[in-house]
Amino acid sequence: MISVSNLKKNYESFQALKGISFDIKEGEFFGLLGPNGAGKTTTISIMSTILEPDEGSVSIAGFDLKNNPTECKKNIGVVPQEIALYNDLSAYDNLLFWGSLYDVPKDVLKVRIDETLQLFGLFDRKDDKVKTYSGGMKRRINIASALLHKPKVLFMDEPTVGIDPQSRNLIFEVLEKLHKEGMTIVYTTHYMEEAERFCDKIGIIDNGQIIAQGTLEELKSLSKMKETIVVSFENLSDSLYANISSEWEGVKRIENAIHFFTSEVNRDLSVIILKCNQAGLSISNIDIQKVNLETIFLSLTGKQLRD
Amino acid sequence: MIKLALKDIQLFFADKRALMLTVAVPMALITLFAFAFGGAGQTKGESRPKTLVIADEDKTEVSKNAIAELDSLKEFKVSQTSLDSAENLVKKGDVAAILVFHKGFRDSINAGNKPPIEFKYDAAKEAETGILQGALLGNLMGIIGVKSSAKSALEKFDSENPTMDSATRERIHTQISNNFSSSESKKQSDSFIKSTPLIAEEENSPGLIHAVAGTAIMMLLFSVVGMGASLLDEKQEGTLKKLLYSPIRPNSILFGKMIYANFVSAFQLVIMFIYAKLVFGLDIFSHLAAILLMILAIGYACSSFGVFLASFSKSRQQVQGMSTLIILVMSCIGGSMIPTFIMPVFMQKISVFSVNYWGIQGFYDIFWRMLPINDPTFLSRILVLFLLGTVLNFIALQMFKKNILKIA
Repeated sequence: MISVSNLKKNYESFQALKGISFDIKEGEFFGLLGPNGAGKTTTISIMSTILEPDEGSVSIAGFDLKNNPTECKKNIGVVPQEIALYNDLSAYDNLLFWGSLYDVPKDVLKVRIDETLQLFGLFDRKDDKVKTYSGGMKRRINIASALLHKPKVLFMDEPTVGIDPQSRNLIFEVLEKLHKEGMTIVYTTHYMEEAERFCDKIGIIDNGQIIAQGTLEELKSLSKMKETIVVSFENLSDSLYANISSEWEGVKRIENAIHFFTSEVNRDLSVIILKCNQAGLSISNIDIQKVNLETIFLSLTGKQLRD
Repeated sequence: MIKLALKDIQLFFADKRALMLTVAVPMALITLFAFAFGGAGQTKGESRPKTLVIADEDKTEVSKNAIAELDSLKEFKVSQTSLDSAENLVKKGDVAAILVFHKGFRDSINAGNKPPIEFKYDAAKEAETGILQGALLGNLMGIIGVKSSAKSALEKFDSENPTMDSATRERIHTQISNNFSSSESKKQSDSFIKSTPLIAEEENSPGLIHAVAGTAIMMLLFSVVGMGASLLDEKQEGTLKKLLYSPIRPNSILFGKMIYANFVSAFQLVIMFIYAKLVFGLDIFSHLAAILLMILAIGYACSSFGVFLASFSKSRQQVQGMSTLIILVMSCIGGSMIPTFIMPVFMQKISVFSVNYWGIQGFYDIFWRMLPINDPTFLSRILVLFLLGTVLNFIALQMFKKNILKIA
């Protein structure tokens, strides 16, 4: 459904994308994860046709983005991170306007608007101005406005940021429904649990490059790790960390803690404590984390997802 | 309390835009108004030459000499043209008044009769006409009135006293000439120029036309800037980005704003003129087609101006800061605040760069000069407004692509 090949984009001397490639199959839920400034937004902006790449190609639903942007646009729906609605119009009028941009016949559009409002639990408030809505309700309308033309591909850029649990659950239900119905979804998020819950496939992007991609299981095996021993210290300094990191493969420092990636916790825990004591480090806490997307991400990028 | 005030003063001086609006903008406006009212750019005690268009129907040595003498005066900048052409200049609002030397001027002077001179004027330009007429009366009496009256008196004296010795005759001639040069004599001769309004007095007073047209256009400019700035709001609120995700062409977004601004502009002007009809009795129904055409032209030019300003700016705040100064300047030089005809000549020349000027003159054409809708002068103003709007739109389109579409 989507094919991205050797995508490059420079902003003056800064290389935002250094030649990324990936494919997304029809009906796939694809998570694009990366720390801030990694190139996620640039990639999404190019795929959603509002930014031209310097090099590389993108095809969506069989249409080449460069040669046929209008056809690509007809096949995509975009849910931007910011809530982009007209606050002085009602939810219904907002949806009527955004839907009309895609040449959906008016009678069909009206039926779809009613269905979508029901789906998002906002039918009873459809005539209220959007400015009277809560943040979560606005987010729901923001998503609804991208679905009215029934796109084949849906791009969602952190759609659940800063919303209440009720709205989040509603959005999750809609996402699951859309996924079941076969819609291809490209999803960026800072919430690992969302990516783990929904994504069939995950691409991890850092410094303008895809550093790993695959299913969660594939990423786990790619990172060659099972668990993480997180040791916090009272006196961690750069020189002491340099001392530890020279003796242990697969460590990352995050503030006053060192993450030791290991496949044998029982074997390595005592060795780690011994080495830390020998190095003069004073341990304040030890935590053992199981392997999840968060630890895989940390292991691959050296950064937490919210960095 | 003092600490709070000091903090605000510090913030005020740190905000260069606020500082500029507080100091530089009023200074610029004071300068502009000083020029507009003619108080600046002139040496003390010296007035600027008044444009005097003369139609010489007599075409004799006597009329030519009189015109040459007027031209030699510092007060006037004389130009000559045919009567028809001169009258058209008044009718089209290019000059406030003309002076006509009718046929028989020489003969009347020689016969010592009242010379056939006519001052034809546009009553809408009351102030300018009054100043010109005042200056003319004094000087014309000096040039023509005194000469003809003194000449006939001297001739009469000579014919009645043919035997008088030359020394006595010379002394009496001097005395008679001096008497005719006296101010009292001038006053008595004030009525020797016939004054005729060239444009018939209508129900619509020029003051009312000016107030309605000038204010409506100025306020419209302020409104359209807000409409143009809505483009920047869309950018700020993310809806512009969302529009760009859709299959509509980016240019369509700008054209959509233009249509919206045009519609609201026309609506606002229509309401203003209906109000002027209901409250002040401005006769709008006799010229409905011309008014609607002028409203469309002004709406187009003004809305293009609003979109043009927005396309240069990065935020609504920037548009508002910039527009206040530009609109006040345009309204001042274009005649929304004070009529252009009382401004110095160089200010009148600058006024053509303002939308206000063309709009106000267009409404004068309709309500005062009573020009028909197909009159070339009226149509030329419509054309200028549409051209101005098109040029502004073209530049706005380029700037829109360059500035506003940079969103990713």
